[in-house]
Amino acid sequence: MSAEKQTAGAAQADAAGAARAHYAGGVVDDVMVVGVGGQGVIMAAAIIADTAMLGGLDVKLSETRGMSQRGGSVSSHIRIGETVVAPSISPGEVDYLLAFESAEGLRLAPSVVPGGVAIVNLQQIVPPLASQGEYEYPFDAVARMKAGGGRDGAGQAGDAGYRVVAVDGNAVGERVGSVKVAGVVLVGALSTHLPFSAGTWEKAIAANVPASFLDMNLAAFAAGREVGA
Amino acid sequence: MDKVLMLGNEAIARGAWEAGVQVAAAYPGTPSTEIVTNLAGYDGVYAEWSTNEKVAYEVAFGAAMGGARALTAMKSAGASVAADPLISSVYTGINGGLVVCLAGDPGMASGMTEQDDRYFGRMSSMPMLEPADSQECYEYVKLAFDLSEDFDVPVMVRLSIQTAHQKSIVRLDETMSGDEAGRPAPERKPPDRKTEKYCLLPRFSRPLHLSLLERVERLREFSERSAEEGVLAFVEPGAGAGAGSAALPLRDGGTARIGVVTAGAAYISAREALPGASFLKLGMIHPLPVAAIRRFAAGVDRLFVVEELEPYLEEQLLAAGIACEGKRWFPQWGELTPVRVGRGFFAAGLDLPRWAQEKAAEDVSIIPRPPVLCTGCPHRGMATAMKKLDLDVHGDIGCYDLTTLPPVSHMHSAVEMGASIPMEQGFTRAGGSETGSVAVIGDSTFLHSGLTGLLNAVHQRTNVTVLIQDNSITAMTGGQTNPGNEKTLAGAETKPVDIAGICRALGVEHIETVDPYDYQACLDALKAGLAFDGPAVLITNRPCMLFPRKVGGDAYVVDEELCNACQQCMKLGCPSLSHTEVTWKNRHKVAIDVETCTGCSLCAQLCKPGAIAPAATAATKAGDA
Repeated sequence: MSAEKQTAGAAQADAAGAARAHYAGGVVDDVMVVGVGGQGVIMAAAIIADTAMLGGLDVKLSETRGMSQRGGSVSSHIRIGETVVAPSISPGEVDYLLAFESAEGLRLAPSVVPGGVAIVNLQQIVPPLASQGEYEYPFDAVARMKAGGGRDGAGQAGDAGYRVVAVDGNAVGERVGSVKVAGVVLVGALSTHLPFSAGTWEKAIAANVPASFLDMNLAAFAAGREVGA
Repeated sequence: MDKVLMLGNEAIARGAWEAGVQVAAAYPGTPSTEIVTNLAGYDGVYAEWSTNEKVAYEVAFGAAMGGARALTAMKSAGASVAADPLISSVYTGINGGLVVCLAGDPGMASGMTEQDDRYFGRMSSMPMLEPADSQECYEYVKLAFDLSEDFDVPVMVRLSIQTAHQKSIVRLDETMSGDEAGRPAPERKPPDRKTEKYCLLPRFSRPLHLSLLERVERLREFSERSAEEGVLAFVEPGAGAGAGSAALPLRDGGTARIGVVTAGAAYISAREALPGASFLKLGMIHPLPVAAIRRFAAGVDRLFVVEELEPYLEEQLLAAGIACEGKRWFPQWGELTPVRVGRGFFAAGLDLPRWAQEKAAEDVSIIPRPPVLCTGCPHRGMATAMKKLDLDVHGDIGCYDLTTLPPVSHMHSAVEMGASIPMEQGFTRAGGSETGSVAVIGDSTFLHSGLTGLLNAVHQRTNVTVLIQDNSITAMTGGQTNPGNEKTLAGAETKPVDIAGICRALGVEHIETVDPYDYQACLDALKAGLAFDGPAVLITNRPCMLFPRKVGGDAYVVDEELCNACQQCMKLGCPSLSHTEVTWKNRHKVAIDVETCTGCSLCAQLCKPGAIAPAATAATKAGDA
């Protein structure tokens, strides 16, 4: 992935057409959402993809495969641009990693492009295999990510590193109403890095959550924007 | 124009509905399931979960004979189950259009094998279309219905999991979009009553085979014509190439005009991997437009064939005398992702900085997180009991296959739908095992293809023990209904089948219903079944925790004082159990996550010091003290 896509990435553009301008010239943003089955990864991915479509861009999303509801690792790939060819992100090309669970963030860290952004939820879900003592759960995952850990060539000359934004999505979610909206808090955190207006994101959220919980989700989104920049 | 983000499978359903499909039948199977799930939501479509893929195929086939447009969908393994009608229906032909959606799983995200389904098309002489994204799914399925009726033949729409399970933008037909009741009423053709067409006796089959061969020739002409017109195949010249092909840089400093023949998901990956090349993107992959490929090949220096799994296209090109390079560079296994195609082109000498280095996708040293049986899963009790008794366990296809993996790790075969009971018979005839052996099958799989296997055991008087893990749903694919349920896919009330009654009717004399949450009862039932002289059936009776609705219950808690860290409960592999920081004799004590515990109580039953009790009871005791 080219470096130029990074420079405009942080724009909180409200003006119509800002998103189009960001993606002019073939820039493609690769966004990967990872977590554990049942955490809401698929809904978050749908919100991100819908936002891009509402923003007038091409978007492709590859759905999680396998037995996502049974506690396994899940990941969704979202690719945004004027024209997107493949729905899956290639290794080492993730521009924005949104990790719902910190060990899953560390697992995918090698795929983040130099200069990319990793937004990682502080939640830690210890799988049964670790509980059995067969493997060590990485309780220091966020610290290791902040130290550049897990990436090829980390710390070597010329390594641009990547930004780690740690978010306590569950605590923020609880503060605005329920831990169940933690996923939308994380989407809010991501939203500050992509060139779509808050209004576009809110429309996409409305299209993906039950109407009776819309207000709480919008509050979660707003709270996420505050902690995610 | 309405633009909608759709899964490939959703787009198939939408296109089929617009094309006037009236009957859809399938058995659930990843990655094909969402086609019929979505069709069930459209007005004017009769959609059903059939008992198996062969039945589904035959229901759709009969509907087509009866004059309606019909669709069936299946995964690779399902095509093997349905192979008999799949091949025969190409002999008879159809009346109303019949579309067969066959979704393969290169990479085996959930499949048992990664067979190349395109050979079904060739073997049966069924014309085959292969879409590459959701827009093409939507368009090709409509073309497939027309083609089916124009040529009097079922038409296969072949999908890869990459196509079926990606979401991309579909531009919907303006005349139909936004109003799902807006579809013109489909016209049913008069039903067929033609003995010589539908009765495959040799005297009728022989001329039908000749007309089938003649039809293949006409389809071949159609394939060439559509390629020429750019309808089902199109050429993309390389970047900056004008009418010809672009010369791409090679690593040795030279250049070459690169052409790529490809289709479906492989096309998408190849386009991502090598954007500057010329592409001949095929839409119809049987019969192949060989003349069009030959013309394309003449304009390039090197011709590559990019396809998932077998060298299906490559071998046909080579047989036609068209020089090409394929499996020499691109893997014959697994999903063909852009990076795998890109690495292949790099190895073939192209100068491709993006793919020059192997990059890690993830840090594999981080703790693995495979799917596990849910908290409270009713399969857990029997699985733990079978491990305790050290039985040889012959499984089938369902969630219980998760017991092949740690921490339960106790299942010794899980091969294909319905295999458990007959394989157990053969194993028994070979002498069995010293500790005893058992066949394990779920309700949906038993009703799919277990009955005839059990009937065989009764008829042959083979002394087998069969455990039917009845959780009253088709769970693994996401909770589809089966004949054990009170409702059909369409939501109609129906009579749930009595599985014990079926076993009785088949002649089984030892049938016991077991509560899988009662560990001792599981052990006792297994022992009694094994001791019985003759086929014995055990049936568990607790529902799936996820479908049709999430099952909750009152949580249990661990009294840390009483817990002696013996690890008996941890053998269950329950996601709600975890180690605490506190140790006893170098072993960690255990805690229960009260948020997720459903109170199945198996851990409490295994706990020798009696440290695990319902949270309510524990609270009362604490209050007393």
